[in-house]
Amino acid sequence: MSNLEITIEFGGGAELLFDNKKAHNVSLPIKNKQWIIGDLLLWIKENLLKDRPELFLQDDSVRPGILVLVNDADWELMDTVNYVIQPKDKILFISTLHGG
Amino acid sequence: MCSVGDENFETEEEKCMPAGGKITLANTKCNKCRENDPIVVLRSKDAYCEACFLAGATHKFKALLGKHKLIRPNDKVLIHHQIGHPSTALLHFLRCGLDLTTHKKLRFDVIFVYVEDNSQFTVDYRKEVLKKIENEIKLFKFVIKFVSFNDYIVNNNKLGDIVDNPDNLTLNEDDKININNIFVSKLNKTNKNDILHIKKRNLLIEIAKNLNCKFILTPEISSDIASQLLGEISLGRGSHVPIDTGFCDDRNQDVKILRPLRLFDMKELAFYNKLNSLDPISIKQTEINPYSSVQDLMKKFVNDLQVNYPATVTTIMKTGDKLAINDNGKQKCQLCMGPILNSNEELSSAESTSFSHWVSTQKPDNSKEKSRQEKYDSILKHYKVSENNNYCYSCKKIEGSIKS
Ligand SMILES: [Zn+2]
Ligand SMILES: [Zn+2]
Repeated sequence: MSNLEITIEFGGGAELLFDNKKAHNVSLPIKNKQWIIGDLLLWIKENLLKDRPELFLQDDSVRPGILVLVNDADWELMDTVNYVIQPKDKILFISTLHGG
Repeated sequence: MCSVGDENFETEEEKCMPAGGKITLANTKCNKCRENDPIVVLRSKDAYCEACFLAGATHKFKALLGKHKLIRPNDKVLIHHQIGHPSTALLHFLRCGLDLTTHKKLRFDVIFVYVEDNSQFTVDYRKEVLKKIENEIKLFKFVIKFVSFNDYIVNNNKLGDIVDNPDNLTLNEDDKININNIFVSKLNKTNKNDILHIKKRNLLIEIAKNLNCKFILTPEISSDIASQLLGEISLGRGSHVPIDTGFCDDRNQDVKILRPLRLFDMKELAFYNKLNSLDPISIKQTEINPYSSVQDLMKKFVNDLQVNYPATVTTIMKTGDKLAINDNGKQKCQLCMGPILNSNEELSSAESTSFSHWVSTQKPDNSKEKSRQEKYDSILKHYKVSENNNYCYSCKKIEGSIKS
């Protein structure tokens, strides 16, 4: 069995929390349950998020003000954190929390 | 409240704002065309396909500008540019509207201004941000001017240079300290925010006059308006709610401030940008303690409530939009330039407080010839003369906080 290969993207300033890198190709290890976005958020926290996780995550989801798109569509159409991730999915996080 | 007596028509649940429901792709088609698959959900209930969403956003923008018919062909319009999704979307709305060749074309001239107020950052970072802003505007083939907010504040509200090149803006590492120095010490953050907000608006008007613009477009969105509205009421600016949060602020005779994005929410504009492949400039976030001022608290209150109750912002705005200025005051406040409400025969509650304070510092009138009513009338007349009438109710309390 091969890993789950997906693309994670950050925009609207969310990339500042991830070394200013907008696109990350990641390979998620296969586990005995399906990967849902909720799991991915924890994985991001442990593997990509360098510091200040509170600027990205809140409780079991993203912080309000961060939009999530799965293959260019609103994750609210896909049951948000419960969406089951498919190979080659593109998951985009757009921050709307601006200063200035 | 107008809900009294309506109980029979509402169930307990309906009386409260509805909480957000759940929508899934599997059971939904676009709300508008009922054909295409939706790509975005607005206000947690309305799903739209890409085409309908984009058409709807453009229509909403044009309809609000058009409905009021304030801007005439060839008028010069100043755009207050800021960093973030709303301003980036506004750039795109304007570019598309001006480039149209149909009768729907926008027919006014625009010029952008960025008021530099990033003194919380280092000078190097501020320069970097200014360069990015210049490039973003160039991408849309617009003209932008730069003005320093610090200069204006420190130089006693005198409009300084309006520069084309951001390199010519004077930035100092101690700008933040210098701004703070204009206030009497120990002034709380709420009042500082209030004063700086007023001064920024006054500065924009000065800039517009200098550039011969009759209008200023500002990028506040619905949640900004809602938190501003609640803040105004808490600060005793209730009577200025219509001009401070409505579509048009016409307190100045020569320059009107318009808020063309006030019916949009952040998600809408962020999606609009995404679908048009626009990514706004990223800027470091500064952590703000939501409990440090009334304004910050109102933002937190509105945004937190909005997460679970998507009708929060519209409910606040609809209520606010029903308020109108009872414009019987010809006199303008010297600080915020808003109308000062003329007092009628009877004292307002604010005046009563100030009157009783004043009256208790006066010598009693013990003359036997006058009736009690006459004594009252005469002391009231003295009170009215002694009153400082250059400021509105709310500004009266803060005007002394600025060192002169
Ligand atoms: Zn549609
Ligand atoms: Zn005032």
